[in-house]
Amino acid sequence: MRRRIALAAGAALCIGLLAVPALGGGAVSIRAVWMEYDARYNTFWQQLKKDFEAANPGITVDTVIVPWSEGHDRLVTWIAGNQAPDLAIVGTRWILEFNKMGVVEPVDTFMPKAFTHKFIGPALEARIGGRLYGVPVALSARALYYRSDLIKTPPRTWQEMLAVAQRVAKPGSLYGIGVSGKKFAELTEYVYYLYGNGGDFFVTNPDGSYGRCRVNDAAGVEALQFMTDLVNKYKVTEPNVAENDRGTLQDLFLAGKLAMIETGPWFGGMIQERAKSLPFAVAPMPHNQGKPQHTLLVTDSIIVFKSAKHKDAVAKFLEFAYNDRHRLEFDKDFGMLPVVKTVARNAYFQTPFYRPFIEQLPTAKPWPLVAEWSKVEDVMWDAVTSALLRAKSPRQALTDACREIDQARGVK
Amino acid sequence: MRLSAQERLAYPLLVPAAALIGALILYPIGATIVTAFATTDKLGRIVGVAGWRNFQALAADPAFWQIFRRTFVWTAIAVAVKTTAGLAFALLLNLPFHGRRAVRLLTVIPWALPYPISAMIWQWTYNSQFGLLNRFLQATGLWPHPPAWLASPGSAFAANLIVDIWIGLPFFALVFLAGLQAISPEYHEAAAIDGAGAAARFAAVTLPFLRPVIVMASLLSVIWTFNDFSVPYIVTKGGPINTTDILVTHLYKTAFQFLDFGPASAIAIITFLTLLAFSLLYARLYFREVG
Repeated sequence: MRRRIALAAGAALCIGLLAVPALGGGAVSIRAVWMEYDARYNTFWQQLKKDFEAANPGITVDTVIVPWSEGHDRLVTWIAGNQAPDLAIVGTRWILEFNKMGVVEPVDTFMPKAFTHKFIGPALEARIGGRLYGVPVALSARALYYRSDLIKTPPRTWQEMLAVAQRVAKPGSLYGIGVSGKKFAELTEYVYYLYGNGGDFFVTNPDGSYGRCRVNDAAGVEALQFMTDLVNKYKVTEPNVAENDRGTLQDLFLAGKLAMIETGPWFGGMIQERAKSLPFAVAPMPHNQGKPQHTLLVTDSIIVFKSAKHKDAVAKFLEFAYNDRHRLEFDKDFGMLPVVKTVARNAYFQTPFYRPFIEQLPTAKPWPLVAEWSKVEDVMWDAVTSALLRAKSPRQALTDACREIDQARGVK
Repeated sequence: MRLSAQERLAYPLLVPAAALIGALILYPIGATIVTAFATTDKLGRIVGVAGWRNFQALAADPAFWQIFRRTFVWTAIAVAVKTTAGLAFALLLNLPFHGRRAVRLLTVIPWALPYPISAMIWQWTYNSQFGLLNRFLQATGLWPHPPAWLASPGSAFAANLIVDIWIGLPFFALVFLAGLQAISPEYHEAAAIDGAGAAARFAAVTLPFLRPVIVMASLLSVIWTFNDFSVPYIVTKGGPINTTDILVTHLYKTAFQFLDFGPASAIAIITFLTLLAFSLLYARLYFREVG
């Protein structure tokens, strides 16, 4: 009997121990969630953690790395379970949504002014209503990659791009230009055609906020019509566009099966690593003839959560992470454009490869910042794929999408 | 009534298990039911009473009904194929032949792999540019112009079904095999002496003995298949144009992508009630069989 009681007590103790959270020592620990950028394999985050901990004894950084395609949902689950990290990389387009949950601490409340003055203008996308809600960590503009052995002069307009694609495409072995119809973490490539045709997602209200959805106007419909024509009328894209997302399109280019692809600066590094002998060059994103040139500008930001206990340690970490050496390493490793002024002047970025990206920055347009962006993006993906698969006409698809988007956002 | 010391000891020993069941099963179910009738903020915290509004909104949404019907079609086809093909497999594996043990072991592989890994392997296998499947079909001349499986709604749905079946089949094969081996050979011998051929023996001996196993295995499979998240979410992400979404992927998107926790909970309740009704029906059938 006594043995049984001892056993029961032992079992109860084990279960009790499970319920007790690990009791740490006196050291301060900060928890960071980083996203996995699709560039070369690297150890940037581990190295940063090591360097920081060596320079700041007493502070440890717990690092979790999450793929982009799961990042948003994983963060939401953590936040909802009161398990938010102290800081995390997010797509700047998610910040309004997180801010609506009341979990984002504006960075300017605990970082010195000098810190926020480090950044180049276009990178500070997370400045909303005069407050800075996220520190820019990655900046990219999108451009046209083309096979320089097949294409001597890169196309500047859609019309030239179509002509080039028709000229170089060889059915079955080489496709002119990539178009993807499979959902991805961002709405590639419709946004390139929308912005390149003077279009926009929403009507801008006089106070600067976003009103009704407007992708079903002439510019929006024409953009989707052009994409649909590339796929179905001129047949200059890869067949079966609905099975490809940005990742597999990049694979096609690396495999030598695509003559042109629209993507970001990280892809240069991927070509270097995975298809070194592939001759390529980069040019500004083509636009519709007669319309101004605009490409997409995307920033990712580090946000700090209100629940972070040790803001001073977080501040120390950010100050440390934004020294020029680590920033340059980040940009090199992940193939991003510089966000810090002093790094932007580095010789590394003054090359023919980076020039088209940097030259486009002044006119590049970001994603619209709306709290319901993940819903908007999902609806837009379905609209674009419906048109590409000819399930709906571009006008019908976008009209239906706008109705659903306005309803979801409660906009009349 | 006086309990012996040993019986009294049972209660404290049950407490940890009861606490875990309460915390991990009962509490989430209760919270989901409450949330289904509530309005929530983007973190899923309840901010008001919705009454039946979440359910009414679903009922008025044609997309939801489409997904609801598709989930039934998905489950019906997958379970029917897995049951019949699983039985055929089990009969084959029950035959005496050289290398039977190795074949039995190999059969388990799809089931032993983690679901997401299988789904990811298949996603690549189906790729029309780099995938093994179309390469194989073309090289062997079996299908000179195979479809791009994941690029259009119909073939993408079929492709997902095949993956679900591929993963689920070994379970049926093994369970049925165990059932077959439990049938005493004497019954078959007796039937053979009475002049029954192979088909008659299968119908009169094998099937009746196997029925409780078939009923139980297919019930479990209905529940697993109905709730198979990994396959449609990883292979096609529910696309193209949401045509391979089933209730559970729709639920996930509603909750964790769009942060609409009220409607998502309503979908969860509908899924739960559907499967509960189905299980009760099955349980009656099962106990009638066994009884």
